[in-house]
Amino acid sequence: MIELQDLRLSYDRHRVLDGINFCAHFHEKIAILGESGEGKTTLLKLLLCLARPDSGRIVIDGQDITFLPESKLRQSRMKFSIVFQEGALFDSLDVRENVAFCMREFSTLSEEEIENKVRGLLRRVGIEEAIDLMPDELSGGMQRRVAMARSLAGCEPEMMLYDEPTSGLDPITADNICNLINELSSGSPTERRGLIIVTHDVEAAARVAERFLYLKDGKIVFDGGLDALTHTGHPGLRKFIKEILPR
Amino acid sequence: MEQMDYAGAGSFFIVFLVSLFIGMALSLQISTELSSLGLKMYTGKIVGISIIREIGPVAIALSYAGRVGSGMASEIGSMVLGHQVDMLRVFGIDPVKKLVIPRVLSSTIMLPLLTIIGDAVSLFGGYYISVFVSHQSGSFYWSQIRAIMGFQNIFSGIVKPFIFGFVIACISCYMGLATRGGARGLRRATTTAVVLSTIMIIITDFLLTRILFFVLGMQA
Repeated sequence: MIELQDLRLSYDRHRVLDGINFCAHFHEKIAILGESGEGKTTLLKLLLCLARPDSGRIVIDGQDITFLPESKLRQSRMKFSIVFQEGALFDSLDVRENVAFCMREFSTLSEEEIENKVRGLLRRVGIEEAIDLMPDELSGGMQRRVAMARSLAGCEPEMMLYDEPTSGLDPITADNICNLINELSSGSPTERRGLIIVTHDVEAAARVAERFLYLKDGKIVFDGGLDALTHTGHPGLRKFIKEILPR
Repeated sequence: MEQMDYAGAGSFFIVFLVSLFIGMALSLQISTELSSLGLKMYTGKIVGISIIREIGPVAIALSYAGRVGSGMASEIGSMVLGHQVDMLRVFGIDPVKKLVIPRVLSSTIMLPLLTIIGDAVSLFGGYYISVFVSHQSGSFYWSQIRAIMGFQNIFSGIVKPFIFGFVIACISCYMGLATRGGARGLRRATTTAVVLSTIMIIITDFLLTRILFFVLGMQA
């Protein structure tokens, strides 16, 4: 269970989050929508304690992790895996080394086992042929696929976090990424791996998520399902989601 | 090893060039001045002491800060901006252990080695000017260099680059990790790393000189 209680955060006297309250189960599929600069990515970072709030509480499975020291955060971070906007691949390592990174750091697997697992993960995300390439030789879509493979390599996260996974991609690649996101979170609604996707691509959000949050002026001004979203009376949100509104 | 290769072997050419020309320029200046006093034969001694105790460690540290320090700050800074440092933290890996400690160690080891090489090159530069421009005796030049190769001078010349290497790497890594605000932030971090390193090298050099004079019982 994820609980965010009255989170507030400011950068340089600019209030980014202004009293965020939100609860979710790990198997939920959630999209956080909002315009640029509304604090969507910051919210993801707070879940992982990559940023700390000015006030409020972040509770993961009953444990308040808000101000836990870095050394004690591994257990709660292991429940999540994140795919950043540009993939955040280690640019001095090739695709194989990127995907194998966590296994080499934390597991006792032999090199042969690591190689097999890396190939299996790359096959799963559909880019096994890129195993020897460097990150700068990959397209944006391929980088995100590698990042997804890497995020699954270290552990089996209970929830995937995606930061603008379709941003800057052509429609076909974005479609493939959405399919992959759905595949990685497939299963029964109570057993599957959940996801939180942060995006301003409303169509992509509608394809992968079942619950939608809309951030405006540092607050969650909408929280509901697709049906409620398309029938919302909030003028700002209606404008934001006009692509998926019934004509 | 990768960091040592980048910091050490990668800096060899710039250290060689800087040291060679500093040695030659210093020898030229000193022999010209001493010549007017009829003391030109002491060029080797003054060049040697200046290079080994002071100019060698400082000049090479400044070159090193410009090349390696800026590289460290920009590399780590771009990792911060590209969320690679965040990924390390998500994986439960301490970025300081993974990124900072290898760089600090490599700098602390490689800068003294580069300084030894640079000092030697500077002395050869000084020798070239003394013999082929100022027309002094080469053997006398080297005998004076040998005479100043005592514990005090060598110790003084070796201790400084250890500290400089540590200071440059700490400042550069810190500025890299503190990078915020896109390309402009990266430029600011890199520039600040070099400027701060330069200032700290000069200040640390003075403080170390005072401390070494006291520890080694040398009179000002």
